[in-house]
Amino acid sequence: MVSTVADRAFAPAKSLLEEVGDMMILTGKTMVSALRPPYPYGSEFVGQFLFALRLCWLPLLISTVAVSYGAPGLQAANFLILFGALDRLGGFFVLAIIREFAPFVCAIIVAGVAGTAITADLGARKIREELDALQVLGVDPVKNLVVPRFLALMLVTGLFDIFAIIFGITGGLIATLVNGAPLGPFWATFFTNASTTDLWGSLLKCTMFGAITAIVCCYKGMTASGGAEGVGKAVNQAVVITFLGVFAFNYVFTQTLLATHPEITVIR
Amino acid sequence: MAGWFALPREWISSFGEIAKFSGKILGQVYSLRVLHFFGETLRQCGVLILGSTLVIWGLVFIVGLQCGIEGAYFTRAQGAPAYAGVFAAWCDLREIVPYGFGYMMSAKVGTGIVAELGSMRISDEIDALEVMGIDSVLFLCATRLLAAWLVLPFMYMAAVGAGFFASYLAVVQQIGEVSSGGFSLIFWMFQNPPDLLYSVIKGMVMATAIVLVGCYYGYHAGGGPVGVGTATAKSMVMNIVLVHLIGMLGTQVFWGANPRAPIGG
Repeated sequence: MVSTVADRAFAPAKSLLEEVGDMMILTGKTMVSALRPPYPYGSEFVGQFLFALRLCWLPLLISTVAVSYGAPGLQAANFLILFGALDRLGGFFVLAIIREFAPFVCAIIVAGVAGTAITADLGARKIREELDALQVLGVDPVKNLVVPRFLALMLVTGLFDIFAIIFGITGGLIATLVNGAPLGPFWATFFTNASTTDLWGSLLKCTMFGAITAIVCCYKGMTASGGAEGVGKAVNQAVVITFLGVFAFNYVFTQTLLATHPEITVIR
Repeated sequence: MAGWFALPREWISSFGEIAKFSGKILGQVYSLRVLHFFGETLRQCGVLILGSTLVIWGLVFIVGLQCGIEGAYFTRAQGAPAYAGVFAAWCDLREIVPYGFGYMMSAKVGTGIVAELGSMRISDEIDALEVMGIDSVLFLCATRLLAAWLVLPFMYMAAVGAGFFASYLAVVQQIGEVSSGGFSLIFWMFQNPPDLLYSVIKGMVMATAIVLVGCYYGYHAGGGPVGVGTATAKSMVMNIVLVHLIGMLGTQVFWGANPRAPIGG
């Protein structure tokens, strides 16, 4: 009696832990089979890379300009105008765009656009028993399906970070122009405050976001079950878990970076 | 070359249909015909509360922590760590809580609606409803929208609380360069009830758009189990772009011309 009640109470926690463990195992398997020859995943890798690039570029462009014009652009510009220091907006954009908004908007877009498409695709193959058929044919699904997606999403998210930074700064420029200020001081404070540490921190963070997205979305797609509703549910759970994982990782990473590199927080 | 513009082309071609469908649902809610199915509305409220509340609060809590540490380090660099509350107040209430709420709404509720309605469409349950003489849009979509409007303002305000609590934890307990009282003084000085109202409006517009887009893609899903998955993925793309655009427009409309700060004359 006691044990059944305890089982029922802890069942969600237990299944969550089991899932996280399964995802860790999948990560390990993916890394091992990415490195161990043979390497049959070249063409699939290129295909997935182009697929993500094609789907994500426009949503990412719209989103980064919108977010950076609204959140750090307008609000910070309003605040700085009160002190007559609008030229400082460039320095603030190093913190706002390079360190925060570019990586996470990038992760949100890649997870929401490419990640959901991957889960839907793999889930459909699982439902139609294509994955089992592959295994019967002696083709390893991890090596041929998960590894190329994992590598492609890591690379594409990392590269999209640069794209997001460029368009994020465009948002800041629009905010400066809307307030009728010249762009020279913006660039001046931006480049004096920007540091290489910030940039590699941003790129590394973004690449890790891509890895989290790829693993969660592949795992959820490959374990989809239960017919038509199953694939939709898998996509639903995949984005929820990806978002939580990405933001939790963002917090830990940013805190570690800020604490271990105090020189990047100094205002110049 | 065609693949590069597939997404904008699809948005343009489906925009009119989404607007028409949304207009139909909004009309059904405003003309109160949805009250024929008030029981179903209450059931949807229950599903929202039990299924989505904790996840949304959790995500907002995490982004609140993020605001806290960025604010603490930024104000420390300016030589004014006591003013971390300014950054936390503006970042939480005006920007990050609406965005976090919008992200989790589109991930959890939006795709959930598509998966549910899509599988009903695939298994011909929606056609069965029509055969029984029940208006399926009214029964499935309008009830969901009314349920969202009933539940989400309160859930949103509690989420704002979760974000504030997280920022407090990060600034005062974790970084620890400002006292609890000093933080609270500045934090509450830089916001007032109209700010909260604007923030709630921002969140509710996002939620409405997400539910409507979810209903459209779910109701019009087709093509077997694969179609449901694809529709879910497509709705997510549109929802995320809408969340960002609504966030920007909200900031421009509510705070664009007036910073609403207790500084200067």
